[in-house]
Amino acid sequence: MLKIKPKTDFVVNVEAELTPELATMDIEEVKKFQVFYGKLKVALEELFEVEKEGDDKVLLLEGDFSRVKWIGKEMEDGEIIIKGNVGVHCGAYMKGGRIVIEGDADDWLGAEMSGGEIIVKGNAKNCVGCAYWGNLVGMSGGKIVIEGNAGSYIGEKMSGGEIEIKGNAGDFIGTEMSAGVITIHGDCGFVGGEMKGGEIRIGGNFELVPSFKKVEDGFVGDVNVGGQGKIKTL
Amino acid sequence: MHHMLHIKNGIVIDPKNGIKAEKMDIFVKDGKIVDESEVNKSDCKVIDASNKLVVAGGVDLHAHIAGGKITMGRIMRPEEFRIVRSTANKLRATVGRTLLTSPAIGYEYAKMGYTTAIEPATPSLFALHTHEELDSIPVVDKAALPLFGNWHLVFKYAAENDIEKLKSFIAWVLERTKGYGIKIVNPGGVEAWMYADNVHSLDDTVPGFDVTPRDVILSLVKANEELNLPHSVHLHCNNLGVPGNYETTLETMKLVSSFSNDKRQILHITHVQFNAYTGSSWKDIGSGADEIAKYVNSAGNITIDMGQIVFGHATTMTADSPFQFALHRLVHMKWINKDVELETGSGIVPIVYRPKNPVNSVQWAIGLELGLLIDPDKVTVSTDYPNAGPFTSYPYIMALLMSKKMREKEMENAHSYLQKATNLPSIDTERTLEEIIQMTRVTPARILGMENKGHLGIGADADIAIFDLNPETLDPSNDYELIQKAFGSPAYTIKSGVVIVKDGVLQCEYWGRTFWVDLKDKVTESIESDLDEYFNYYTIERSNYGVEERWIRNPARVGGARWYNAED
Repeated sequence: MLKIKPKTDFVVNVEAELTPELATMDIEEVKKFQVFYGKLKVALEELFEVEKEGDDKVLLLEGDFSRVKWIGKEMEDGEIIIKGNVGVHCGAYMKGGRIVIEGDADDWLGAEMSGGEIIVKGNAKNCVGCAYWGNLVGMSGGKIVIEGNAGSYIGEKMSGGEIEIKGNAGDFIGTEMSAGVITIHGDCGFVGGEMKGGEIRIGGNFELVPSFKKVEDGFVGDVNVGGQGKIKTL
Repeated sequence: MHHMLHIKNGIVIDPKNGIKAEKMDIFVKDGKIVDESEVNKSDCKVIDASNKLVVAGGVDLHAHIAGGKITMGRIMRPEEFRIVRSTANKLRATVGRTLLTSPAIGYEYAKMGYTTAIEPATPSLFALHTHEELDSIPVVDKAALPLFGNWHLVFKYAAENDIEKLKSFIAWVLERTKGYGIKIVNPGGVEAWMYADNVHSLDDTVPGFDVTPRDVILSLVKANEELNLPHSVHLHCNNLGVPGNYETTLETMKLVSSFSNDKRQILHITHVQFNAYTGSSWKDIGSGADEIAKYVNSAGNITIDMGQIVFGHATTMTADSPFQFALHRLVHMKWINKDVELETGSGIVPIVYRPKNPVNSVQWAIGLELGLLIDPDKVTVSTDYPNAGPFTSYPYIMALLMSKKMREKEMENAHSYLQKATNLPSIDTERTLEEIIQMTRVTPARILGMENKGHLGIGADADIAIFDLNPETLDPSNDYELIQKAFGSPAYTIKSGVVIVKDGVLQCEYWGRTFWVDLKDKVTESIESDLDEYFNYYTIERSNYGVEERWIRNPARVGGARWYNAED
């Protein structure tokens, strides 16, 4: 296991593609791992205290990581535990393994992820499991669970996998999604625009775009794109 | 900045001047190629080109490198800009996968030994935008062709068969837009699109005007020839991208059979690959390249460019709005449509060409058929950037044209439908190095009427590319990987006598010229009242329409047959 702790409060964003892979590396190598502090390329040890305990493929991030971007980017296995908040793009392009965030997550959580699991104990912001601007496919596999609330744009262009939000969410849920499942236990705003397939389940109140047809167990649409997406109440 | 250069011991191929792989020295002074006697050798910077190929800089006569369309394409496709090509150092940072930023365009051309590129479709209303953007493209010399084929005033003069007024109007447009020649895109079709329609043959009537595509093309060709512009009419045919359209293309070529010009072609038909399909639907599409090649080779007054497909990402962007809509419906990708008031329209749709897609594989093969079957002095390499692929793939296309073995290797990965739908598998032709230099330098320069481009004779612009290829030992049919690599990484690219690229690496920033054809003296009073009348329907005043020469970084006027720089 590798413990990583910020040395200071960061005044600008840090871009650090920290994955469990680091925990398997020699500690001296880990200290020299390159990250960006603003526009400066620096060694990991200049910004963080690092400490190795055993050989488990686990990263333990202690402290405030809310200005640290790209944690868990493209990770394939192992585990990251974040005992605090985390910055944008956490778990982006993730293929496997597990990320547990004990605080809040920022935007772009699990963007375009294809496998693995992300658990957020607090809240998440916007663009959970979305496609990056312009890309055709968002989250295609794996699971994201958010215990608290989430922002807008959830699972845009999602083509597989599962997103579960135990609190409320904002607008634009499952826009252009083609497969997979989004579950929201609380309330949310507009749902299902240009939805082609997949399923959205909602526990609380929500607003439906007008291009959905009522069926026995919910709604089907978006008819504007000949979609077969399903929206159900929990 | 302009040194005298002595390029020593290179093996020169200069087809225009009949030089076939001869070891010789070349001298450069004040940005021009000069005779040995004109330079003081001890003051020359010496470039050792021993065992290297020395040729003129490449000329791309059709690449959408500036203007409203590529900018809208960039806005619509943020995903294209996640690829960093170079980070800022003494030069500018560049990004882009196949859609490139302006500095990337100039640098990437230089990194292939290309030194001239033409923006071939500028809505006149947005000419200022085009020039601002051309001014942001480093290295290359450039020019823009304004669009005429769907302009209401052109319809009016064509309907009245008033060639005198049409000539005056063309002269006025070229002066206002600082344009270089006449571009036509789907004549009549873009106007019909205003009514959610298209024209489907040369004899369909354009809605609202008593005129047909045939009239529009013929009138503009007549006017072009009477004005004796350096470039011919540059035509994107009707029915582009429609199976069976090779017949329309042939019919269009035959329209001008009675015209001739000693210096150049009468009609340049562009990205012919998209206009060379047989069949009645996408299910039975085939190649009409054979028929087109036969006609082009025998006619003598037609030239074409390939519009070669490159497998992978591309962005289609043309003034052909109805075609773009059809494509949007076909590929289900995002789409932009734009109406340009009384002049033209445009559309943009991203696309991915896949080798395993039967239609894409046929398209890929047709481009190569055209490049292999048509005489090298009548066809030039293009990808209709960014429509059929990136221009950065020219080295790949050049290698394909030179090696049957490489084509066979590529065909193994492509869909087998091309085997029966095209003749590519049975074509044994392998272009020689000299023919490739002809097709990428001499032919496009001649088509454009740029006498100082595309060759290394005395007085030519000192746009020179030196490649690490020895014509004496090269075996193109087997060395295709070497050819592709060498054409994509010149030992030197020299622009107007300045070394821009050395060993494939950019050395400095350089700003090329923007050519425009000055026919101010051909603008007559006769069109004044028509212009005033038409400007009642524009969103801007006539006094605000157009581009002043002083707004352009390095304008270079072309008047009649004479070339001079604005500062001369």
